[in-house]
This record gives sequence, structure tokens and C-alpha cells, in this order.
Amino acid sequence: MGLKDVVKKAAFVDILRGMSVTGTYFVVDKVTVEYPKEKLQTYPRFRGAQALLTDPATGDTKCVACMLCATICPSQCISIVGEQTPDGRSHPATFDLDLTRCIFCGFCEEVCPVAAIVMTRQYELATYDKNDCLLDKEKLIANQVNAHKELYALTEGAAPAAVRPASADGNAGSHGR
Amino acid sequence: MSDPIAQLIFLIIKAILMPVLIVMMVAFIIFFERKFAGFFQGRVGPTYLGPWGSFQSFGDIFKLLSKEDLIPAKSDKAVFRLAPYIIFIPAFLVMAVMPFGPVGGQANLFGYRFDYVIANFDAGLVLFLALGAIAVYGVVLAGWSSNSNFSLLGGLRAGAQMISYELAMGFSVVGVMLMANSMSFVDIVNGQAGDFWHWYFIPQVVGGLIFFVATLAELNRTPFDLAEAEQELVAGYLTEYSGMRWGIFMFAEYVNLVVISGIVSTLYFGGWRAPLEVLDFIPGPIWLFIKICAFVFLYMWVRWTIFRYRYNQLMSIGWKVLLPLSILNLAVTAIVVSVAG
Repeated sequence: MGLKDVVKKAAFVDILRGMSVTGTYFVVDKVTVEYPKEKLQTYPRFRGAQALLTDPATGDTKCVACMLCATICPSQCISIVGEQTPDGRSHPATFDLDLTRCIFCGFCEEVCPVAAIVMTRQYELATYDKNDCLLDKEKLIANQVNAHKELYALTEGAAPAAVRPASADGNAGSHGR
Repeated sequence: MSDPIAQLIFLIIKAILMPVLIVMMVAFIIFFERKFAGFFQGRVGPTYLGPWGSFQSFGDIFKLLSKEDLIPAKSDKAVFRLAPYIIFIPAFLVMAVMPFGPVGGQANLFGYRFDYVIANFDAGLVLFLALGAIAVYGVVLAGWSSNSNFSLLGGLRAGAQMISYELAMGFSVVGVMLMANSMSFVDIVNGQAGDFWHWYFIPQVVGGLIFFVATLAELNRTPFDLAEAEQELVAGYLTEYSGMRWGIFMFAEYVNLVVISGIVSTLYFGGWRAPLEVLDFIPGPIWLFIKICAFVFLYMWVRWTIFRYRYNQLMSIGWKVLLPLSILNLAVTAIVVSVAG
């Protein structure tokens, strides 16, 4: 240990430098996002709980019950029963999605030929009742208010007003303040 | 009312008020420790209970009181119960000899002489060192009586650490003792009368730094918190404690923090004296309070900056650096004092 090191240690040089670093952090803006009060903006391709988009013209789901999503789903959490509408179109009578099985891979959204099923920015899925995780057609359609902005814009005006939350102005909150 | 009776009443009031004030202060210091821990790491700390989260400590106390009080089956139960108080009580006792205002002067209250100290004790410094030595028994006994390997190791480490650092601490304090020509805290503060360049931290800068480092070890705070090194010893001597019994340890730790901050400011930074004599219109207790807060903040800053030293580093700092330096400081001080004074 040379004289330089001895002087450095005696003057607490390294310790004072460390304390200046922590002292800087003491006064700068904090990085904490106080979660329930403020939320991060999800990224544009965030894969949250699914939604079924509706057709603005008819107000009904765009799904044509082709079963592609149910087929590709790795965890087989989608089950659809199809039916014929009076005008001869294919249409899902029931559309059930089990979120407790879903792995949020987004394959259903990718494979859908009519862009009916989409992943949304809805990630607050904690619940006291397991049945809340079993999404039927009504719940999936109601969830389209949480769809990513550009997808939701396709159905704007078609969503039932009752299920639209007060702040459905796209993505609420801000990212990193 | 005769003077002795008035003095007795004053004494009782002081003896009640002082611990109550410290307890209130400690409750908020624990909150500030957590808040500042967050700030130093770029977080915000507790925010929920009360404005700014400032009632966090009271929430913690409520939680601790509602917890089950577990005592290990194979522990030495009497010692296990006694250990928290062995740490707790000496911490408070030191406050009795620390002056928080002028003593023996013209200061009076309702026409009676009022001393701003609970006990004007001639050997206050010795009492402080002795009580510090007793407090470590609490840690060692807590570690031993828990009948747990981690606790025992924590207690042994605390004992070894205390022996190493109490020596350096004692020697560095003797320098102040020589300069003030007294072991009484009251005389030591009187010896620092005047503006801040009369304070002992300038002539005793080496002793002051050694004392500060040694108090870090005495307080069992980072970087010398080997007795409760979480990564190695779970929680050291606290491992088997739960509920409010653990809370008492925690509480005593912070009472000690306040008291040691007070001791550092009394020994080296003029105690209750204002930094400039023109500021004397602000009463002494407030200056002492400000200084204690400043040192508590400094201790927190050090805690959240410096990493824990390894055990052999701790020992080599204590024995190879601090002890020789403190003896050198004592020798130089003794020569200067005997030649100049």
C-alpha cells in the first residue's frame, strides 16, 4: 500500500465519493410508480386478456367460428360452438375462454383471419372468484374497451355504452411519468 | 416552596419528559430511516399511513403487538426474556448525564434555579463507556439464550466487535477528557464555550473520526452490522425473537442511535451551544436537537452508502488502524495540553 493509498484512506476519499452518489439519489426524482394510484402505460403489443371485437355495422362479434384459434391454442383454453345465422353466415353460438389455462402467447390473435379475437392491455386479472377467469362471449365482447387503441378504433361507436369505463380515452396513465 | 423541593420536582419532570421525548423522536426516526432508505436508493419509501406515511412506525408497533410472542422451547427462558431490557435500559440511562442547556448558571424557571441536565454526574464519560459495555451483554446473552447457531454466532461477533472498538473509542474520548480537564459532560460542553471554532472537533479531528467510526460499530449499524448480517446469519442474535420482544431490540437500537448522536455532538460539536454566539437567543435544547438530527441523518447516510465489512477487515481496522491512531492521538493531545496549558 503506497503513500497515495494511505492518504486516500485517511481522507475517506472513496467513502465520500460513495456518499455523494447516494446523496445525489436522495435529491433526484424517484423512479417509483405507486401502482394502484398510477399505472404504467402498456406497450403497443402487450398481450393481456383477450377480447372479441365487434363489427361496427352489425354490433355483433366479427368472429366467424372458423375454429382456428381453438385449434392453434397450445393450452386448448378456447372452446367454440358454431351455428348458422338465418342469412347463412357462420357465427359462434358460444365462445368460452378459460383464462386460468391461457398462457397469453397471442397465437389466437395472430391466426384469426377476421381480426375478431385480440389481446388487450388488460392485465389486472386478480380476482377472488375463479369463475371470473372463465370468459364467455359477453365478457369477451365487453373487454374490447381495453383493446389497444388502433384496434379499438376499428370498432369505435359499436361498443355498448354501458360497459365502456369513464376513462376509455385510449390508454390511461403514463409511462414512467 | 423551598429550593430543594423545587429541584426535586424539576428533576422528576425532567426524568419523565426526557424518555418520553426520546421515545416520540425514535418513532419518527424509524419512519425517517425507512423513508431515507428509499430516497437514497431512488425510491419513495413508505407513503400510505398518515401524511407522507409518517405514522408508519405506529402501524409497525401495532403489527408487532398483534404478533405471537414465541419463545423457543430449548432456550434459556429467563435470559431470553431479560436480554432485550439489558440493551434497552442503558440506552436511556446515558441521556441522564447529557446536558441540554446551561447548568449552574443564572437559568431559572418560575424563580427557581433550573439545571438543563438530569444528573450533573462528575464521571459522565466513564458512565457512558460502562453502559455501552453493559449493552453488549444484551446482544451476547440474546444470542446465547436463543439456542440457535445463527444467534450464537451473531452474539459472539457482537462481543468480539465490541471489545475491538470500545478500546479505540475509550482512547479517543480521553483526548476530549484531557482538553476539558474533566470527565463530566457539563464541563466538556463548558470547555467548548464560544463560536464553533472553539469546539473540540477541530483540535480533536483524529479522535473525533475514530470516535465516529467506533460508534458505528457500537451501534451495530452498517458497515459494522456483522452481528445481524442477514446474508450470513439470518438475523444474527435477533433470529429467534418475534413480535414486540423483537420490537424492543429494534427500538433500543434507535434509542441508542439518538443517544450516541447526542454524545458525538456533546463531545465534539459543542453540545447545546450555538455555532455562533450571536445565535445564543435560540435555546440550548433546540440546538442539541438540531445537532442530534444532523448526526442521525449522517448515520443513515453512511448506513445506506457503505457495504458491510468482512469480519477480518473489521478486526484489522479496529486493531491495526483505529487503536494505534487513537493512542497516538491521545499521546499528542497529552503533550500539547501539558505544554500549552
